Amino acid sequence: MLVIGVDTGGTFTDFIYKTVRGWRVLKLLSTPDDPSRAVLEGLARIREMTGASRSLGRQVVHGSTVATNAILERKGVRTALISNEGFEDVLEIGRQNRLELYNLRHRKPAPIVPAALRFGVAGRIDAAGREIEPLDKVGLGKVVEKIRAQGVESVAVCMLFSFLDPSHERAVRDALSGLGVPVSLSHEILAEFREFERASTTAVNAYVSPRMDRYIQNIQAGLSGDPLRIMQSNGGAISAETARAESVRTILSGPAGGVVGAMEIAKAAGFERIISFDMGGTSTDVCLVDGEPPLTLESSIEGYPVKAPMIDIHTVGAGGGSIADLDAGGALKVGPESAGADPGPVCYGKGERVTVTDANLALGRLAARHFLGGDMRLDEARLEKALSALAEQTGLSPLDLAEGVLAVADANMERAIRVISVERGFDPREFTMVSFGGAGGLHCCSLAKLLSIPRVLIPRDPGILSAMGMVLADVIKDFSRTVMLRAFGLDRTALDAMFSEMERQAVSEMAGEGFSEDQVSLERFADMRYRGQSFEIVTPAGDDPGEAFEALHERAYGYRQQAEVEIVNLRLRARGTPVRPELAPAEEKSGAMDPAAVLGENPAVFDGRTVSARLLDRSKLRYGDRLQGPAVIVEYTSTIVLPPDVSGSVDAYGNLVLEISS
Amino acid sequence: MIKDAALSPILLQVFKNRFSSIAEEMGVALTRTAFSPNIKERRDLSCAVFDPEANMVAQAAHIPVHLGSMPLSVAEAVAGLDMEDGDMALLNDPFRGGTHLPDVTVAAPVFCKGFDGPAFYTANRAHHADIGGMTPGSMPPLSASLYQEGIIIPPVKIVRRGEVDPGLMRLILANVRTPAEREGDFSAQFMAARTGVRRLQELAEAHGPQTLLRYAHGLMDHAEAMMRAAIRAIPDGTYDFEDFLDGGGLSRRDIGVRVRLTVRGDGCVADFTASDDQAEGSINAVRAITLSAVLYVFRCLGPADAPTNAGCMRPIEVLTRPGSVVDAKSPAAVAGGNVETSQRIVDVLLGALAQALPERIPAASQGTMNNVTIGGVDARTGRPFAYYETLAGGMGAFSGGDGESAVHSHMTNTLNTPVEALEYAYPFLVNRYEVRRGSGGAGAYRGGDGLVREITLLSEAEASVLSERRTRGPYGLQGGEPGKPGKNTVIRNGEKQEMDGKFTVRLQPGDRLKIETPGGGGWGR
Repeated sequence: MLVIGVDTGGTFTDFIYKTVRGWRVLKLLSTPDDPSRAVLEGLARIREMTGASRSLGRQVVHGSTVATNAILERKGVRTALISNEGFEDVLEIGRQNRLELYNLRHRKPAPIVPAALRFGVAGRIDAAGREIEPLDKVGLGKVVEKIRAQGVESVAVCMLFSFLDPSHERAVRDALSGLGVPVSLSHEILAEFREFERASTTAVNAYVSPRMDRYIQNIQAGLSGDPLRIMQSNGGAISAETARAESVRTILSGPAGGVVGAMEIAKAAGFERIISFDMGGTSTDVCLVDGEPPLTLESSIEGYPVKAPMIDIHTVGAGGGSIADLDAGGALKVGPESAGADPGPVCYGKGERVTVTDANLALGRLAARHFLGGDMRLDEARLEKALSALAEQTGLSPLDLAEGVLAVADANMERAIRVISVERGFDPREFTMVSFGGAGGLHCCSLAKLLSIPRVLIPRDPGILSAMGMVLADVIKDFSRTVMLRAFGLDRTALDAMFSEMERQAVSEMAGEGFSEDQVSLERFADMRYRGQSFEIVTPAGDDPGEAFEALHERAYGYRQQAEVEIVNLRLRARGTPVRPELAPAEEKSGAMDPAAVLGENPAVFDGRTVSARLLDRSKLRYGDRLQGPAVIVEYTSTIVLPPDVSGSVDAYGNLVLEISS
Repeated sequence: MIKDAALSPILLQVFKNRFSSIAEEMGVALTRTAFSPNIKERRDLSCAVFDPEANMVAQAAHIPVHLGSMPLSVAEAVAGLDMEDGDMALLNDPFRGGTHLPDVTVAAPVFCKGFDGPAFYTANRAHHADIGGMTPGSMPPLSASLYQEGIIIPPVKIVRRGEVDPGLMRLILANVRTPAEREGDFSAQFMAARTGVRRLQELAEAHGPQTLLRYAHGLMDHAEAMMRAAIRAIPDGTYDFEDFLDGGGLSRRDIGVRVRLTVRGDGCVADFTASDDQAEGSINAVRAITLSAVLYVFRCLGPADAPTNAGCMRPIEVLTRPGSVVDAKSPAAVAGGNVETSQRIVDVLLGALAQALPERIPAASQGTMNNVTIGGVDARTGRPFAYYETLAGGMGAFSGGDGESAVHSHMTNTLNTPVEALEYAYPFLVNRYEVRRGSGGAGAYRGGDGLVREITLLSEAEASVLSERRTRGPYGLQGGEPGKPGKNTVIRNGEKQEMDGKFTVRLQPGDRLKIETPGGGGWGR
């Protein structure tokens, strides 16, 4: 079986697959007007190159940006929303807060469904799940006619307390059946309380799913019946059929693929607890994985809440393109403004403002002659001028300023990692940093040192980690349901019955994904809180969920409370492991480093001192090679800097493993 | 720019990051573990770090109304109590560092190796859902003096060397309606303070307390420089503006709030001394509220990334007259000053600035927080409940854009309680929650619309509403029309009764309470 991971990115579409001779990578330019073109072209090329294995069969796992871009570019379909009468504006009111406290001209993002396409129908379920007013069938009929007249392409339905009694939402779907448009019901997309978040998630799904549906059909047409899976934001893949109807679950799948890739590679190398560090041109994504990737239920995209479970990735506006400048009070700031790809850093030849990449070059941490394998020359003279001009304003020497720019950028990223570690009760000293992204290698060692992280792992192909994560991802389906139960004195049989019902649904849906019951692993969780709190902690629901919750609460917040514990939501995670290639270690160590790996020496500045750094070619490094800072290791899409006190080696998987002394 | 020339512009930025991340971490700890929906769902809280002289070093921006008032809390705690390592102070007295009684502040000293006495203080403030007094929710619209508004806590040592004083705690809990919830909220506040103390100690360990303090003061100079740059952009001159409150609570007489703003170069004076005397009722504001409102307005004029600390206020002199509605004297009732009068202070200051900067200043926003408190015993469970919530309204239009609808403006930014969360937690049925179409003022750019929330009570309860802008709509600017005033209605057996802006009423099961909030003013003809 040939399993191919395909990740559509902004610039490149990455492909990764494993043949008998090892892992193979293909990079094609993305085709943003129709991303399926690049995908299908790459798959066709791989088919040619692996012609002999045609009889083996093929599986494709794809991380698509179609749903994401439909939101970012507001190019979803014409969507209507049906809710209870008197609650038509729930999407517009939101949580009634503003995102910018000090902006007198604040505007919220326009609701994803405009007022003219939001309709109310009388009928009501209460908080105990009782129908206190029947659904108004006559009113519903009128609404259906209006929707028909408006040329609507997709409908979202969100009624109050539908997760307790879905009969009204189902009746609405039945009434809409004559229209021939897809209908998203809130209790199916997200069976949890808090109507704004549920309505928003459902509306986003209705808005993007038809686009995704068309896109997936395009790809399937080129696959001649071979199975296609789509990556989800929760770090698991799902069949194309499910993704077509529930596209909202794919919205942040790209970064999720990176975390899964980092996790699997680190696991193979022997590290279960990692902090993934993905630094790109404009932003940096960090995520703490303690055995399993953490999930969050509080994500949003473009200001629209999406409560489908997502890998909890923290993003900060610091990247290689972040611009350094003095603020109105005279302090040096770096980012969040970015020079992006155009005009880009000063040294790329067009930009006028000093960036983090420029500071790295000025300090000798980028090798001007070896950038992008020597395909692109960096303009050092141009940089010197811009850097001197900024240095003059600060009263610092250009090199001190450059080190300052990196220090400020590092401080921004350090803060992001503190948020996901220290602030959540994890000690960074117990973790390994897995660094990737175009700028990750330049900053990982200095950042690890700031946080006392003892070890940094840089995967062999850091540029295609996301596609790698897709190949290695399990099939995962998440189910949830709001129950509002008391945890102590709880009737275990009743709880088991509720879980069993969810498990029956899960097993039946996993059969549709190609897994028999004994191939599916099921994990039970409960979202719990002290009665009166309104943030829940996702707790493994074993024999004593109450005690498990209190232990987690104590770890996160330092204390327990003399109060009743509530089970708010039940969660079930169903997982199946598909056929997938193995990460296999090399067997033999190299005796000594290939002399061709040494490209020369490069002067580099660390803490105000200029030292001579060894310049190495990563593609020539082999298992067992020892590394000692100061060194600059170049590869095609990134550069790795080892400060003077960092040492390390190449492991059996081709990863660089660096030891950071604190 | 930065006065201490030896400070590096790089470390300045690094420490700005560190201090504000400590304040934010305290906020996260507090939000996640608190019990009051006010704190958890609505984030009605603030956290900050102070130097030994109670100058604010950094604040996590949650609620602007706390901006200028937190330092006074710490100053009172420092002055009145001999704080040792592991101690914490508690207070809510509006005339001794507080603002109104439901806002309870916890302050803790930070002792560091190599430093004599506390090197820093951390403080956090949270709005509790009930603190006793004449009405459930402790936001009485019709109180005549502070003694009716709840338990008054002067600065007291609630935690001694890490141990909560059990007698004090019992005393406080005996005076509130929902003691278990209060105890949970206090625990969360102590926890947040402890988090801040620990982080500052770690930072001092790494850099030395003296260096930290030098940079803390450098950051204040830095903020001052940014604020002065923003004031320099305002044309010099004297600008007057007045607006009115509907009434004090116990009287319906208009209460004038007046400002004379004088701008000279990079400094200014905001003179409120011509404002009316303090009123009969709970609408009075203590001076801390006025400082907060002024700081908020100037913070809006400065750059978005300006730090919030003691340096921000240095270029601005605020003049108030003790005994006036914007600087009330003890024992005035003050429950509403924080939430209502603070909004009017912003309105008049923006009105004055609009004469200097006509293109930059928007028309008036709803100018009220529409405070609703309902309390009683939940017939479903037999438990007492106390519900407090504020409702959003329209924002003022501005040159180039309509005002936003159904959003909190100016001095508050609390989240709503979702309908489903509300019905799970309280004996209410929400009948409608929608945008109040057409309530924004007309103009070249329209004011934002207010909203409508209508609730049916399922248990007998006492409801109080403390709201403003019920007689006069929020003003328009440059020829724009004012927004529609708000409207409060009680519906019994289908019969509608229009209520005042401020009232307390006993409701029976089946009775309905309907609140319609004001629209924002329009901009331009």
